[in-house]
Amino acid sequence: MIKVSHLSKSFHNNLILDDLSVEIEKGDVVALIGSSGAGKSTFLRSLNCLEKANEGELDLDGFKVDFTRITNKQRLELRQQTAMVFQQFNLFTYRTAFENVKEGLKIVKKMSDSEANKIAREQLEQVGLSDRAHYYPKHLSGGQQQRVGIARALAMQPKLLLVDEPTSALDPELVEEVLQTIKRTAAGGQTMILVSHEMNFVYEVANKVLFLDKGKIIEEGTPNEVFNHPKSQRTKEFLQNYYRIKQTTADVMNLTSPA
Amino acid sequence: MGKIFDINAVFTSIPSLLRVLPVSLEITFISMIVGLVFGLIFAVIRIKKIPVLSQIIIVFISFIRGTPMIVQLYLTYNGIPLLLKFINAQYGTSYNINAVPAMLFVLVTFAFNESAYNSETIRAALQSVNKGQIEAAESLGMTYFQVLKRVILREALVVAIPPLGNALIGLLKGTSLAFVAGVIEMTAQGKIISGSTFRFFEVYLALAIIYWVLTIIIEQILRLLEKKLSIPDPGQQNRTRGRLFSFTRSDI
Repeated sequence: MIKVSHLSKSFHNNLILDDLSVEIEKGDVVALIGSSGAGKSTFLRSLNCLEKANEGELDLDGFKVDFTRITNKQRLELRQQTAMVFQQFNLFTYRTAFENVKEGLKIVKKMSDSEANKIAREQLEQVGLSDRAHYYPKHLSGGQQQRVGIARALAMQPKLLLVDEPTSALDPELVEEVLQTIKRTAAGGQTMILVSHEMNFVYEVANKVLFLDKGKIIEEGTPNEVFNHPKSQRTKEFLQNYYRIKQTTADVMNLTSPA
Repeated sequence: MGKIFDINAVFTSIPSLLRVLPVSLEITFISMIVGLVFGLIFAVIRIKKIPVLSQIIIVFISFIRGTPMIVQLYLTYNGIPLLLKFINAQYGTSYNINAVPAMLFVLVTFAFNESAYNSETIRAALQSVNKGQIEAAESLGMTYFQVLKRVILREALVVAIPPLGNALIGLLKGTSLAFVAGVIEMTAQGKIISGSTFRFFEVYLALAIIYWVLTIIIEQILRLLEKKLSIPDPGQQNRTRGRLFSFTRSDI
């Protein structure tokens, strides 16, 4: 079980995360939704110490960390137990897809070359990129790069996978392949926290949805509860705006598509 | 006097100039290597903003950049003996000032100089590395030194090679100042030869040609290094690997 308690962060006197607490069961897919600036990414990044939280604790399956007095050793340990998928992919430019996946296994997990090779091969196969193993990131499409990013994260066998807007930097045509990969990962039982603006996807893949606004969790429940029966006014507004934009797009597409 | 310009004197002086080429190269490469190591250390100290050390380095770099090389050479040339004298007087030791090889003054000065300039180049290159990749490496659980070694340096190297190459070429030519500390390198040798043959222009022309050729060689090596460090095109990866020093037709 994973438990985040009383996580807070402020920056230049702006409260970005306001006393957030979340409980996550093994195999849960927790989705964070909310408008930009609500603190979704900051929440994820704080869990991985890429941002320094001012307060809060994390219990990761018995491995306990207090963010106010986290030691260097704990930070490394925490990062080894979690893994992150980034909005901008953040692949290592000068390493091939294969080397990207292998990097953490060799350097952090200190695996033997053959062991690391085996896992890297398997992970690339999982995301359907065996034939692109020896390509450098700049020769891969955005969708392929993100799938390598997912393979790199999964290779570390994280107890918790942190996925930060995995499709926001992608061409619309490439979104689907990445969503499918994440869906498969979720179906495989990987515990994860997902930040996404793809509401349909969130609805399908998550079993718990948190709606964040101004650093606070203001709605929490199953996808059905949050999307179809939102309690708070703010959630309703957010969802209405989202669907209105979707509807407008659909209208435009109907207008322009040949009859 | 015979001919106004004696082309033969150009050619005949080349071998005797080349006899001291190793001295020039020794100064160049030792100073560059020391300068790279300390340049990197200084750069990391400044990026990590380590108190006291960071401020000392800022003043040191400012001093090196703000004073002429030749003055720095005079300072070490006259300063190290003073320091030895002081140590002898203070601790009753008896280091022999005359036993200190002239080369040491030169190496110390050049190495300090390179460290200062290189540290600025390296600092800029390290800071140019995309932050996302650093975060990705950190999120895998790498320590700072692993991130530095595995991600930052690799990336920074590509950025730093052209300006560091410039520094190397500047250094090679700068070695001609070593004569003020009594080291006989190529330029000093040129002075000596021309002093006895009176073919000043011819000897200095030969000297210029040698420096120029050396610079061209360094430029070519750097060009190959840059090519080696760049990302190969898809499908070419196996062919370009491991042939830093082999030429193909297109290189020539």
